[in-house]
Amino acid sequence: MKTLVPYKSEKIKYLLKDIWKNRVYYLFLAPKMVVFTLFIAIPVIWAFILAFQEYNVFGSTWVGLNNFIKVLNSEVFYVALWNTFKYTVFTVPVHVVIALILATLIHPLGKIAQSFFRAAFYLPTVTSMVIIAMVWRWIYNFRFGLFNYFLSWFGIPPVDWLGQSATALWAIIIMSILTPPGVGIILYLAAMSNIPDTLYEAAKIDGAGPFQRWYRITLPMLKPTTLYLVMISTIGSFQVFTQIIMMTKGGPGYATETLVHLIYKTAFRDYEFGVASAQAMILFIIILFFSVIQYRLLSTDHD
Amino acid sequence: MKTKKWIAITALLTLVAGTILAGCGKSSEQIQRTDKSGEEVEEKPWTGKITVWDGPRWADANDNKYHWLEAKTAEFEAAHPGVKIEIVQVPWAEMPDKLNVAIAGKAWPDIAPVDISGGAVSINHIKQGVIEPMDEYLTKDEWADFYPNALEAYTYDGKIYGVPNSITVHAMLLNLDLFKERGVDPPKDGRWTYEEFVEKMKQLTFDRDGDGQIDVYGFSTYILPGYYEAWPFLYMDGARPLSEDLNQYTFDDPKAVSALKKLSDLKFVHKLAPPEMGGNDVGGTWKAWAASDQRMVAVEPWATWAIASAQTDKWKTNFMVAEYPIGDSGKPITIGGVGGWVMFHEENDGKKKMVAELIKYLSSTDEQYTMAKNYGVFPARKSAAEKNPFIDNPQMAQAMNMAEQAVMLPRHPDWKKIDEAIQTQLQLVLNGEKTPEEALKAARGPVEEILNQYK
Repeated sequence: MKTLVPYKSEKIKYLLKDIWKNRVYYLFLAPKMVVFTLFIAIPVIWAFILAFQEYNVFGSTWVGLNNFIKVLNSEVFYVALWNTFKYTVFTVPVHVVIALILATLIHPLGKIAQSFFRAAFYLPTVTSMVIIAMVWRWIYNFRFGLFNYFLSWFGIPPVDWLGQSATALWAIIIMSILTPPGVGIILYLAAMSNIPDTLYEAAKIDGAGPFQRWYRITLPMLKPTTLYLVMISTIGSFQVFTQIIMMTKGGPGYATETLVHLIYKTAFRDYEFGVASAQAMILFIIILFFSVIQYRLLSTDHD
Repeated sequence: MKTKKWIAITALLTLVAGTILAGCGKSSEQIQRTDKSGEEVEEKPWTGKITVWDGPRWADANDNKYHWLEAKTAEFEAAHPGVKIEIVQVPWAEMPDKLNVAIAGKAWPDIAPVDISGGAVSINHIKQGVIEPMDEYLTKDEWADFYPNALEAYTYDGKIYGVPNSITVHAMLLNLDLFKERGVDPPKDGRWTYEEFVEKMKQLTFDRDGDGQIDVYGFSTYILPGYYEAWPFLYMDGARPLSEDLNQYTFDDPKAVSALKKLSDLKFVHKLAPPEMGGNDVGGTWKAWAASDQRMVAVEPWATWAIASAQTDKWKTNFMVAEYPIGDSGKPITIGGVGGWVMFHEENDGKKKMVAELIKYLSSTDEQYTMAKNYGVFPARKSAAEKNPFIDNPQMAQAMNMAEQAVMLPRHPDWKKIDEAIQTQLQLVLNGEKTPEEALKAARGPVEEILNQYK
């Protein structure tokens, strides 16, 4: 015990010395760290504290786990959780697969063609989701929508895509799937360029065909990228919000209610910041759980 | 030498801090002087900055929709030297969210236009002390000039938390060109029974080009939490969502079920409404009635703003205003709302007086008259209504007559949650997934859960 104090102080001394020695680097890091602390770290910590409080403008009160109990007793929360889960399960794998297929098709092309397709598929990523949702709202319009127009070619009566519980969530899932996964394509293309040509040449000499080369070389070499994409897509999908508020507002009934939309309503409509923070903490735990599972499943042979 | 240096630095810092603090007009205090006998003789008015949030109102020649407030605040500044008013322009659609975020961050404005029933500010905010009571700033006679139902909307626990400046109602807007095209007479004096309404709407539902598809429908509306265009239909047989004491859910009684059935029958039985009726597309519903390239619905219910809107060049429509159809209750009914200015929490009494002064200035008889004439709302002051702002606007005059039929929404602190529990069920009736009985019974559980928290 006696040796612990001087050891600790030595460590701090060493740390301070190190900071002083590398002060230029720390100085360059400082702005980002200040922004991170102010706009990410502090709000996250504050949200965590709020989850255990009943929010009041002039002084919140400590309520222990009451907010969590309230959330877990709410039927709407489970509906939102199920809808979010369904959305994630259907959009993430399809998005990743589409990105992989498109990257595979673009990769062998010449520089100009590659640049064109990169830009074309990345464009929706830089377009506001609000605009994309507005366009899709028109595509799903009962009377003038493109979808119902196509259906009319085959004599199929129009469908109220966003107005029926049976179709509303699917309509949003389809919209997400059909929006090109620009980030995924770019990342896959970058990863494909890093695969050494020698691997393909050796496989060729061994008599491997194009599909075998793709399946036995490209796919395994892309595993770290796939892991990253699956994880960020899952996190993004669990946070689906803009499409919902722009297109259905969670309706009809609660057919398209999702977790983040519910958190938004709880905080900014019902003004229950404590309950909303508890919902956000539960969402964080769910995302963390899935991220760990995905990491374990997809990263084993690359450590 | 060192001590001197520190004294100098401390003095300098104190001087700088003092100058900065003195420069902050917000914190300047009122000064009271007393004469030899000790009586208060003079009070220096507060000076500093007042922040006013407002949404776009009617445009001037330069398409400036804030010109009225800019002119009024400039006049106020001129009359109160040392007072500077900052106007923050906030689109109406963003007002509730922005106010809620501002309240959460204790960065609220001094004044904002708020419809207490509209969701931007709720009774919970009043309970938390975010809104200042206004009782002491207007005299008894001044308060007596406001319509009682307008004052009631801002009254909580015996105090008045805002100065009403406008009343709105929901009304049926009838496209008279379509009535003429089908040879249908509009209702006399804008009044009709449910049966007469159905009969006329049937005649207005027709296939114009003979392709076997309906091109024009008699009626349409939408259902969305926070919007009440369809609700007078639900009230037509005498039903109300909550009991008078706000302790019981009453919207699954036979009167409510029959009223909701009457509304859903328009779509599913009489087939006089388009399949998208009851969806959540507010803009699409409006365009179906008002856009010159559509005009595929003859009658839609809207809040008062739509009357003024349908008189602008963009949406110019040949229309008239009618009452909601009369149901089993035997009298026409509509849902009303009250808009007004509220003062947000402030510690400084001098500033509170000045802010209240500004609110009074913006809510005077003349200003309410101007607002009514140009902005499509009804005055909340009797004296402004007596000036007859709609003498040359029969549509607005007709709607103003409906203000007497207006019923306000229940003033429950958690009304927004109750509203969602009911409206999400209404959506499922109008998309054909539930019967009125099933839907209104399904709303009972969540609504009672909310009500029980207050018992």
